[in-house]
Amino acid sequence: MAGADSPSAALRRRDLCARGIRLAGKMRSDVVDLLDAYVERQGLDASVSVAAVEGVPLAAVERWDEQTGTQRLLENLAAYRAFRGLLAQMLEEQQEQLGEADTALGQALAAVLLQVSAFAYHLEELLQLESRGPPSDEEDGPPPRPQGIFEQKLRGLGVLRELAQWAVRSARDLRQLAKPGPGTGLAPSPAESP
Amino acid sequence: MCWSLKELIAPEPVQKQPVVAWGSAGSGGKEGAKIPDLSSEGWSSSQKNPLDVYENLGTPQGLWTGGEMANPVPSACCVVLAAVVVVYAQRHSQQDSHTQYERVGADVTMKCGSMDWDAAVTWTVNGTDIDESHLNGSYLILKNVDLSQSGQYACYEGSSWHLKYQTALKVGTPPREPVLMCRSNNYPKGFYCSWHLPTPTYIPNIFNISVIHGTKEMVCEKDAVPKNRCHIRYLQLFSTVKYKVTLTVTNALGKNYTTVTFDEFAIVKPDPPESVVAKPVPNNPRRLEVSWQNPSSWPDPESFPLKFFLRYRPLILDQWQHVELSDGTSHTITDAYAGKEYIIQVAAKDNDIGTWSDWSVAVHATPWTEEPKHLTTEAQITETTSASTSSFMAPPTTKICDKGAVVGSGAVAVCWTAGLVVAAYSVLFI
Repeated sequence: MAGADSPSAALRRRDLCARGIRLAGKMRSDVVDLLDAYVERQGLDASVSVAAVEGVPLAAVERWDEQTGTQRLLENLAAYRAFRGLLAQMLEEQQEQLGEADTALGQALAAVLLQVSAFAYHLEELLQLESRGPPSDEEDGPPPRPQGIFEQKLRGLGVLRELAQWAVRSARDLRQLAKPGPGTGLAPSPAESP
Repeated sequence: MCWSLKELIAPEPVQKQPVVAWGSAGSGGKEGAKIPDLSSEGWSSSQKNPLDVYENLGTPQGLWTGGEMANPVPSACCVVLAAVVVVYAQRHSQQDSHTQYERVGADVTMKCGSMDWDAAVTWTVNGTDIDESHLNGSYLILKNVDLSQSGQYACYEGSSWHLKYQTALKVGTPPREPVLMCRSNNYPKGFYCSWHLPTPTYIPNIFNISVIHGTKEMVCEKDAVPKNRCHIRYLQLFSTVKYKVTLTVTNALGKNYTTVTFDEFAIVKPDPPESVVAKPVPNNPRRLEVSWQNPSSWPDPESFPLKFFLRYRPLILDQWQHVELSDGTSHTITDAYAGKEYIIQVAAKDNDIGTWSDWSVAVHATPWTEEPKHLTTEAQITETTSASTSSFMAPPTTKICDKGAVVGSGAVAVCWTAGLVVAAYSVLFI
């Protein structure tokens, strides 16, 4: 494995960041469309406030500009791994609730799940470039499922809203990472050093 | 108010009379009003002004007591002056000053202080006597007041002209629901909210703003300029929790408020791009090179890149052409109409969130055109004709054939050729 500060590692990181930014943008666009469809199909009010639900990673962060690159990657990876489990549960719930009546929603959910998985993999690759590798994907078990159908729908709404926010945050995080020099929290390569 | 000289001349020596000196009327109290320096005339300051309640009226600032007068002519002048001052002091002595706010259209009744209803009084407004038809006994009745009736009202006892009551009447309206707008033009640093009243109230208003994010109340720091604006720093980014901003406006006649609720991304709207420049491209009659800069208020375009929307049209047409640009701060227009002046504008938007900025200041530019050539001889016409097939533009000084200048059949052929060339260019421009 190339060292974190080698020219090839820097190029690889820049390439991964650029592709990650594009993936995050596409993911956000698809999640926003999915959100509209979900609200409509599940009979929800788009303006309803959803309280923070256990297990749904919140995109909100204080002092975002002070985070190191490693912090950004770790927080992103933890979030997308959590979203992977949540979306898988939502897919099951949707099939239980709507069955074959709405394959379009199911397909859209599956497509977003695929993008989330791909993005998580992307983040793992970026962390691989650092002196520390990505944390193991310990299976703590699936997140707790809400009891009632309405609670499941509300949680689904909360999941998609937070995922849309994360997609924006991830693009910003990757742009910070792609910047050369100090402040990214990643060691710059000799070629990049002033 | 008139009085005889006899009344003005005081029977006692002047030094025993309190004399008041004051600033110019309406000087607004302590600030700006100057106490005349009478010390050179034998007067000295004795005590601080006991009439501070008249601050807002620019009334007497200090008390001066007089000294002995040696010269009879100045003495007479001083006696007259002293008498005038005494009368003025008595008129303005020890009366409370009020401010009274009333709604447009209201009926207003003013009592003359503690005077009985049947007391003989005179009311004035801004120093002018009010006709007795507006009086009900000693009460002043103003029906259906309008804005022009705002002013300083005073009531004097009939015979003594003692001032008994005065008030500043301010006619206005309670505030209507204010207009409130919040926007982030410097994301991710923070956002600002600005407000105004849809119609004036004509009396002073106090604005109070509260900003709540979830359960947290945030501080909105007032801007020095403009006064109807405050800004908030983001404590969190990427939050799904909405912001709730409530603006309350209060004046002496009432209160109103408005609330806006929004999420972090929705209010992001950059300022327009700056320094837009459009230039012709040499030897390219259909191109214009446009460049601009990020708005200076956008703090970190590297981490929060902007995308741009460019629109352009020739002045002679109404329809715009549009181009969206995801990166860079320049663009080359390649389909401009040759020789036509263009108007060009640019707008900006965060790459991911928010709305488009307003359009930038418009710039004008005309694509490059070939230098015109002068045709004065037959040889030059021939030269132009042979060169015209490789050029877009006919030289503007190209002359249409003049019969008087035609000599011989060869010249006629050249004229026809030149005319055909000009016609061909005309078709190209349509």
